[in-house]
Amino acid sequence: MPRSVTWGAYALFIAVILLLPLVVDDPFWLNRFAKYGVFGMLGIAVALSWGYAGILNLGQGLFFGLGAYAIAMSLKLASPTSLAQGSDTPVPDFMLWNAEPGAQTDLCCINSGSFLWIPFQSEWFGIAMGLVLPVLIAGILGTVVFRKRVAGVFVSIITLALVLLVRLLLIDAQPVTNGFNGLTDLGWLTIGGFEFDPYITETYYLVAVCLTLVLIGTRVLVETRAGLILQAIRDDENRARYLGFDVPAYQIFFFSVSALIAGFAGMLYVVVAEFASPTFMDLTFSITMVVWAAVGGRSSILGACIGAILINTIEASISETEAFVEAWKAIIGLIFVLVVLFLPRGLAGLAKDGIAALLGRRKADPTLATGQEVTE
Amino acid sequence: MSDIALTLDGLGVSFSGFKAVDGVSLLVKTGELRVLLGANGAGKTTLMDLISGKTKSTEGQVYVDDVDITNWAEHKIARAGVGRKFQIPSVFREISVRRNLEVACCLNPSVFANLRLGFSPAAKRKVERALALAGLEAVANKPAGELSHGQTQWLELAMLIVQERRIILLDEPTAGMTEGETAKTAEIINGLKGSHTLLVVEHDMAFVREIAETITVLHLGKVLAEGSIAEIEGNPAVRQAYLGSKGIA
Repeated sequence: MPRSVTWGAYALFIAVILLLPLVVDDPFWLNRFAKYGVFGMLGIAVALSWGYAGILNLGQGLFFGLGAYAIAMSLKLASPTSLAQGSDTPVPDFMLWNAEPGAQTDLCCINSGSFLWIPFQSEWFGIAMGLVLPVLIAGILGTVVFRKRVAGVFVSIITLALVLLVRLLLIDAQPVTNGFNGLTDLGWLTIGGFEFDPYITETYYLVAVCLTLVLIGTRVLVETRAGLILQAIRDDENRARYLGFDVPAYQIFFFSVSALIAGFAGMLYVVVAEFASPTFMDLTFSITMVVWAAVGGRSSILGACIGAILINTIEASISETEAFVEAWKAIIGLIFVLVVLFLPRGLAGLAKDGIAALLGRRKADPTLATGQEVTE
Repeated sequence: MSDIALTLDGLGVSFSGFKAVDGVSLLVKTGELRVLLGANGAGKTTLMDLISGKTKSTEGQVYVDDVDITNWAEHKIARAGVGRKFQIPSVFREISVRRNLEVACCLNPSVFANLRLGFSPAAKRKVERALALAGLEAVANKPAGELSHGQTQWLELAMLIVQERRIILLDEPTAGMTEGETAKTAEIINGLKGSHTLLVVEHDMAFVREIAETITVLHLGKVLAEGSIAEIEGNPAVRQAYLGSKGIA
């Protein structure tokens, strides 16, 4: 595949997401596309770990959820209701329902776990935690798993079990997390005095610009020598080891980067959706992300990103058509089965083959040749 | 640089009582090509596993020059200068042949040191030289998974050449090759003599004649004999244990 075509596809995609507000002026749809952009970021995270590192993480929702809850805690404290609970400092409303008898209405001591919320009064602390926690957990998990040379399906099972475990703990810690209900009624993200109302164009651009940066950053990352070595490890771990590479170090690093992207996506999702919920750590959500990446093409960063956005857009359109209200899940399932059976490299693979065939024909037929050199 | 590149001193491993390699001592000179011969189960591949760190030894020592590398982690042994080619050829199948060699070129193994784009002109020249040596120029941009069996073996050899490991372990480098491919492999290996220290496990006697200087014969995990090809052929113990009464075919 000529490199110019690859970069051309990236440029086109970035142009589309940056120019979208010119076409879509309905705030509702713009908000929706912002959410899909966040899902696109998750597609990138899955492609990095599954496609490039060969690590099928079935618990990516854990990192998404950690990022989401970290910033949601800060935004919850910033919401007007938290300031109106009869105390000088903000206290989340649900904590009053979960208060210890006779406790003072303050984060320090309203219940036994509420002190954990104290540093989250700073929005920057919430943002920092949304990035640090996923990387930290991924780093620890990766160190245990990859140093022990656990591989393949066993990694998937461990990640799957872990996300369910954390989900359970999260729901169980009702006084601190509001359990099943999650964190709702959040304030808006405020940076330098600017309030990111989820339904304004600026918020869409916040997501679009972040997505662009993550997309380019990840693509460049896999182009580096380390990214090349990572692909080598995916293909033959043992060979890489006997070439002198510390295989787990590479796996841990890229696993953590993937977690970082997922955590970042979780934070942005909270900004545009205004809630954080334990459903982020449901098994179905983590598996859905894998489906997006598989449909888009797991070995293509851009493909997986587009796959996520495309499936969600189709899903939204189909599920709102009267006749398909009940059937859309079956339709999405069918698309997935067809892609796995007939397009193992996903839509990205299909596009690559198409472009290659087109270029091949142009080369072969001098009447169509433009005289332009095709660069490697 | 010392005269002896690889020293095995009473190296052995026992798998719950069974001694697959039993007190093997061996000196391989710098630049020498040493062939390991032996019947199935003689412990040839296990010996390579012990040197390269795949299997942990239960007795004895391995030295590269004067450094004791016994039971180090595999990647550290590789960095100490020991490269290994596997019996079943293993290359990075989904990336191109050239990229396989570029991976081998990343001599600084740290993740963070490798967070950079591109390769130095010196590294690129090294890759091109290795491509030429292994005769893979024409397929350099193909995924390694599309190569023929022989080409895959050469690519793996080329990766070790690019790495400039001082000691190279080759486990049956001609297994499954046609005669023409075997001859070319012999040519490549002969080209490495002198600049690299090689330890080769091989069954194909025609190939052994082509490349061998000194042969070590293993039998039931122990060194049975050591010497030139003529000496080995004339050794009655070897004839009895491995070659049968008919001699080297």
